[in-house]
Amino acid sequence: MSFISLEFAVFLALGALVFQLARGPWRRLVLLLLSYAFYLTWNPRQAVLLLGITVAVYYTAKSMEKTASARGRLGFIALAVAGLLLVLVFFKCAGLFARYFPGRAGGNVLADVVAPIGLSYYLFKLMGYLLDVYWEKIPVQRSFVSMALYPAFFPQILSGPIQRAGDFFTQLEKIGNPLPDDIVTGLRRILFGLFKKVVVADHLSAMVDAVHANPAGYSPLELLFGGYCFAFQIYADFSGVTDIAIGIGLLFGIKGPENFNMPFFARNIQEFWRRWHMSLTSWLTDYLFMPLRFSLRGLGAVGLSIAIFVTMLAVGIWHGPRITYAVFGALNGFYMVVSALTLKKRNDYFQKRPLLARLRVFAGPLLTFHLMVVALILFRANSLPSAWVYLTHIIPGFQSAGISTFRFDRALLHTRQVALLLAGLSYAAMESVNWASRQNVWAARFSSAPWFVRWTAYYVVILIIACSAQETRTFIYAQF
Amino acid sequence: MTEAEIKQKLTAIFRSVFDNDSIEISEATTAKDIEGWDSLTHVNLIVAVEKGFKISFTTKEVMALQTAGDLMRLIASRCN
Repeated sequence: MSFISLEFAVFLALGALVFQLARGPWRRLVLLLLSYAFYLTWNPRQAVLLLGITVAVYYTAKSMEKTASARGRLGFIALAVAGLLLVLVFFKCAGLFARYFPGRAGGNVLADVVAPIGLSYYLFKLMGYLLDVYWEKIPVQRSFVSMALYPAFFPQILSGPIQRAGDFFTQLEKIGNPLPDDIVTGLRRILFGLFKKVVVADHLSAMVDAVHANPAGYSPLELLFGGYCFAFQIYADFSGVTDIAIGIGLLFGIKGPENFNMPFFARNIQEFWRRWHMSLTSWLTDYLFMPLRFSLRGLGAVGLSIAIFVTMLAVGIWHGPRITYAVFGALNGFYMVVSALTLKKRNDYFQKRPLLARLRVFAGPLLTFHLMVVALILFRANSLPSAWVYLTHIIPGFQSAGISTFRFDRALLHTRQVALLLAGLSYAAMESVNWASRQNVWAARFSSAPWFVRWTAYYVVILIIACSAQETRTFIYAQF
Repeated sequence: MTEAEIKQKLTAIFRSVFDNDSIEISEATTAKDIEGWDSLTHVNLIVAVEKGFKISFTTKEVMALQTAGDLMRLIASRCN
């Protein structure tokens, strides 16, 4: 059952009601049952796998705690992390393997393997939990109900955010009925998430799909426009589902971590990655980058570059075993290494030139945005050759004969003027709300406005969502 | 080394790594309290501490650090 469906709305309303009625430790049990009920609607067999992995992790952490020798504990953690990674690689790569070795023994079996829903999200949660226990950052979780709820927590299982175990368990221990303020904030976040998805993202998708289906058939201007649109689409889509996930969590007394902080205003690539898919990048920073960087500290700048590059490559490959994702990661690794190695020099340079520094305030975010547009074209492309065609044809002079550089054919782009206007306006509205909600003054002003002002605003948003709803597409990040 | 000596020497290292002479550290100081203390500079800090105190840490020890107090205790356990 998808977040955007009538069944889910009913499930959510009933679930919230039962949760309100539950008391004490029963709340956790209710949440666990709701989470598994939700997961079972997707696939019962995959729920058995989730439960099995949870049991294994639960007992691994307990046994690791009892092991006295450092070597023994290292053995436990190494085996456990390798095991979880193996599960991830098996399910994500089975299809790929079957395609390269057709007809071989097991090939047909592998072709039928489907990656479980939310696998990348819940395995990363569990791996983080085990490493935190190993590094003695958090105590072992004694309650099996809490342990099982952590990876399965239904608001977060489809598309994250990847909440840390320590944060989740701390909130779970003192979980009570959600405060009225949290319920209002939660419902507002859900509404805002729906707006981002249904009004902004879904209206950009037809055109993005069109240019990527045949990049050679479009003019440089159209391709550039398609590149911008995909950046806005994936941002609205993914931050929309995150808003919905955080909003639902708030209805059940759990505050999930933020995933986005207006990333397209980042002044450089490093800042961009601190503001985009934050729960994944901070996870990879803590559990991959830091240990790697520390182990390679003797190598100086070379060690730093290797650690950054490997981490960014992991960001790409986390999305799945596709060459376009790997190249997306590698390109970002290249951006990040160059940015990290030159940042101090750049800062010194601009400090001595105040006029240029003022220009940098605008040029920095603009350049960063365009570097990401290029990377995201690779991310979205149907194949690597197709990405190559896209990226070369975007440069004037490479376009196919007969297509003028500045052609902008709306019919060809599958977009009507009014839809484009709506998408543009709603994107601007979305970023304005994003900005305003970060300013305490504006957030307080809205909360203290007369009820009819607030309710008019809610109804207008609901009306816009209802009017612009087309056949809803699944969330982009639900496939990872 | 006494606790005070460790703190004094560590403060000097913090000031040099983060290029800010007004840094004061306490038991509860975390990365949030010091400008520029992020995942990239954290290892620079650790390397400077290792050199300054002529000690060496394991990955596990470094990953467990959460506050400047943790770091001071770790240094003390090595130097004494």
